[in-house]
Amino acid sequence: MSDNLLEIEGLRVHFDTLDGPIEALHSVDLNVEQGQIMGLVGESGCGKSVTSLVTIGLATCDVDEGSVKYEGENLLFRDSEADKRLQDISGWVTVIGVFASIMSFFGMLLTPISLLFRDFLLIFISITIASWVGGFVAKGKYRRHQKFMRWVRGNEISMIFQEPMTALNPLYTVEKQISEVMREHDRLVVPETPRYIRVGQALVRPATLVVDAFSSKPQSSIATFSTLALVLFAHLRGFADPTAAAIASPFVFIFKAIFSFIEVLYALGNATINLNPVAVIELGSSVTTPEKFGIIILIGFAYLLMKIPVLVSKYAPGYESLPTQLVQQIPLVFTTALILFLLLWMPLSALLAMTIITTLLSLPGIIMVNYLGLDPAHRRQVIGILEDVRIPNPSAVVKMYPHELSGGMRQRVMIAMMMACEPKLLIADEPTTALDVTIQAQILKLMRDLRDEKGTAILLITHDLGVIAEMCDAVTVMYAGSVVETGSIGDVLSRPRMPYSIGLLHSIPTIDEGADRRDVLPIIPGQVPDPNLHFDGCRFHPRCPFADETCITTPPPMIEVEPGHFAACHHTDSIGENVAEVQAAFDVFAAEYGLEGVD
Amino acid sequence: MPDESKNDEILIEIEGMKKWFPIKSGMLSPVKSYVRAVDGVDLQVMRGETLGIVGESGCGKTTLGRVLLGLIPITEGSVHYDGEDIRNMSNRDLRRRLQIVFQDPGGSMNPRMSVRSIVGEPLQVNGLSEGAELTQKVAELLDSVGLKREHMNRFPHEFSGGQKQRIALARSLSLDPEFILLDEPTSALDVSVQAQVLNLLEQIQEKHGLTFVFITHALNVVNHICDRVAVMYLGKIVEIANTGDLFSKPAHPYTHALMSAIPEPSLEKASRERIVLSGDVPSPANPPSGCRFHTRCPIAEKGLCDVEEPPLEIIDSGSHGVACHFPLGPGMKLPILDDAQIHPEDDDEPTTIVL
Repeated sequence: MSDNLLEIEGLRVHFDTLDGPIEALHSVDLNVEQGQIMGLVGESGCGKSVTSLVTIGLATCDVDEGSVKYEGENLLFRDSEADKRLQDISGWVTVIGVFASIMSFFGMLLTPISLLFRDFLLIFISITIASWVGGFVAKGKYRRHQKFMRWVRGNEISMIFQEPMTALNPLYTVEKQISEVMREHDRLVVPETPRYIRVGQALVRPATLVVDAFSSKPQSSIATFSTLALVLFAHLRGFADPTAAAIASPFVFIFKAIFSFIEVLYALGNATINLNPVAVIELGSSVTTPEKFGIIILIGFAYLLMKIPVLVSKYAPGYESLPTQLVQQIPLVFTTALILFLLLWMPLSALLAMTIITTLLSLPGIIMVNYLGLDPAHRRQVIGILEDVRIPNPSAVVKMYPHELSGGMRQRVMIAMMMACEPKLLIADEPTTALDVTIQAQILKLMRDLRDEKGTAILLITHDLGVIAEMCDAVTVMYAGSVVETGSIGDVLSRPRMPYSIGLLHSIPTIDEGADRRDVLPIIPGQVPDPNLHFDGCRFHPRCPFADETCITTPPPMIEVEPGHFAACHHTDSIGENVAEVQAAFDVFAAEYGLEGVD
Repeated sequence: MPDESKNDEILIEIEGMKKWFPIKSGMLSPVKSYVRAVDGVDLQVMRGETLGIVGESGCGKTTLGRVLLGLIPITEGSVHYDGEDIRNMSNRDLRRRLQIVFQDPGGSMNPRMSVRSIVGEPLQVNGLSEGAELTQKVAELLDSVGLKREHMNRFPHEFSGGQKQRIALARSLSLDPEFILLDEPTSALDVSVQAQVLNLLEQIQEKHGLTFVFITHALNVVNHICDRVAVMYLGKIVEIANTGDLFSKPAHPYTHALMSAIPEPSLEKASRERIVLSGDVPSPANPPSGCRFHTRCPIAEKGLCDVEEPPLEIIDSGSHGVACHFPLGPGMKLPILDDAQIHPEDDDEPTTIVL
């Protein structure tokens, strides 16, 4: 066994779709050594992510060929031919057996010769069970492999995804999500408080809630509880109904006023249209009393008076005067009055029944939440991990939800989650693509520091060669599902031999002072080919300035151009060390290609 | 710069632009405070130039752009387009002359509309062409962005990211505008495709004589497409200069940090010492006192930077403005500090951005 942590050899996979199989990977060879940062680079659709997903067994594709080995253990599982046949046969037999059992059950019910059908039923049921058990046994190896993969994921190999917001669960706090990984892999320390004490604490928790409320917010708690006591007292003494009526009276007054206002409008509208004279006269006489008009005018004035400060505050930001704040309290007053009215208006028996039912329904929830909360020892463990990823003030962050964190912090939490079990290999799938350059620099520094401290190997997937240059020890360039160049970072970046790598390097805008703004940026013309297309030769040839007959007909072999530096191209010799010439050739070729870039 | 002559006519003039978003907590509670997304920006866009606006997420770049186009109302200050206040211009007029390309091309197109109707819709709405004439015009537009006539009847999902961005560009060109706001048009694209789109933008600008405002967070892109660059931090412009000046002698520490954060694909540069800014952008709801950058700045001085806000002052040549108490001269370097050295006592709640 060499010091290779991860060895991928000749991996070829396809996805089954309705339009037939799509070959996602053609031939991928990749080695990651202990403590190495390996970069995997290429455009979108080159199969970088599929490679990583196949490695940790999360891909939904079928593997045709090749092997993925982690420290000598095979991560890919393929059933033997005999097992596969057995599974197929048992599946069909089970289906037919179930169908036959159902038919014979009905036959037993319906026909006079039911004894015969009973025997049939028994036979079919036993056949079904036997074939199902056969299939279950044949899948045993697969299930053992799945169990092994669950152990590998997170524990030995873990993965950071591109978009931290979708990778984190928005419903759980940070501490919950990190401790979940650790619980799954038995990495949590012994809890500080024994289980029976925690159960006891959880049971008395509902009672302590009241005490907590009084100690944290004494004034509002006293107000709330005294109001409730008053309501109860009013019910017992029998003056609940008059009190409810007293609370409701101002609202009744306001609603009456509003309704009479609506009636006036209605009457005026009807008067102009003049549909039914009698009705109009009746309505008019009902609304046009002077008192009602007075009320309407008063209400209108009051409304305007309330509205003015709101309007003023809207047009002058930062301005909040006392009347504004008073006006803004009005809805709260309304709501409180409404709740109080309902409590007084309701019969006491109904009120008590409601209270008891809601309490009984909520108690188990409160108790469970408290019991399932984290142990202080586990929380300290999580805080320690967050400190490792340089999160400021981790004791506050553990209680936060993902949406409360900024992008960089979320990505740090992701990394913390992945580092929780101290895996030997970290697969980072475009970890910084969604981040700003300054935050990206922070995250990259963090990942490099973690490597230096803990010796974690990293497989860094990105399309940015700048990130690769910053981070990696070695780099593998992928194009359209196959590896086209691999070697140490110095070899590939300073002496690239495959035209695709040269083009990628060339197309990144630089901040060199010499670069003029009016220069045309160098490009690789065209785009990554559709994975459905079949190529006899090199898959890069439609976009390559050096493509000739050989490139179209024969696939290029992987040539070792220097020790440890491989490139898949027919023209490695002619490309040689002269990168500038190749770049010039690319520019000429791109100009001929024109604005094209479309299939 | 090569073409000084065309850079003298002001197309857009922004004066004291402010955009504050109210923060409300719940239905019953009053407005608590404001997110000061853009907080006092003065800026001029010359006819025919490309102005870059650079900054991290949460700096107010996109808000600035949207207010500039009149997509959201301005809180304070004014935007004059060609001498006319945009609040007085009709919506139809405004949209015909000012256009936008959004960051996520897939999200800015209706997945149920074909390319022909996506690109032709502005023409139909404005009653400019119909029927066969419309088809012909759409074909010309597609041709000008490097797509083919037969793509007209396809739907957005059938295109790759770079092609979708080309379609979005064709749509913004359809009304023959004078000004296009490019809101991070290449952030979602691969580097090789990004280069293709940037080249296309340059070609189109030359052909149609357009004015661009290019919003991005990547300074290396700015270097290739912009004439002038404004660096934004927390709703304010901290540095503005011609591209050449900015890259040869950046004066604001924030610009230095942004430039050093760009990863470059060469080994000599990768090994250089880089300034890694600590922390995130502070919350614009509660910006730091004094200079807004002082909480992350390696050269901030206690008693001055955290008290007094530096105004945007013109240094050396007439066009280079910087808002800093200690602007860095050419060739000067920022000290490299650890996170702990910058703010040893900083133990507040971690900053989160509410936007």
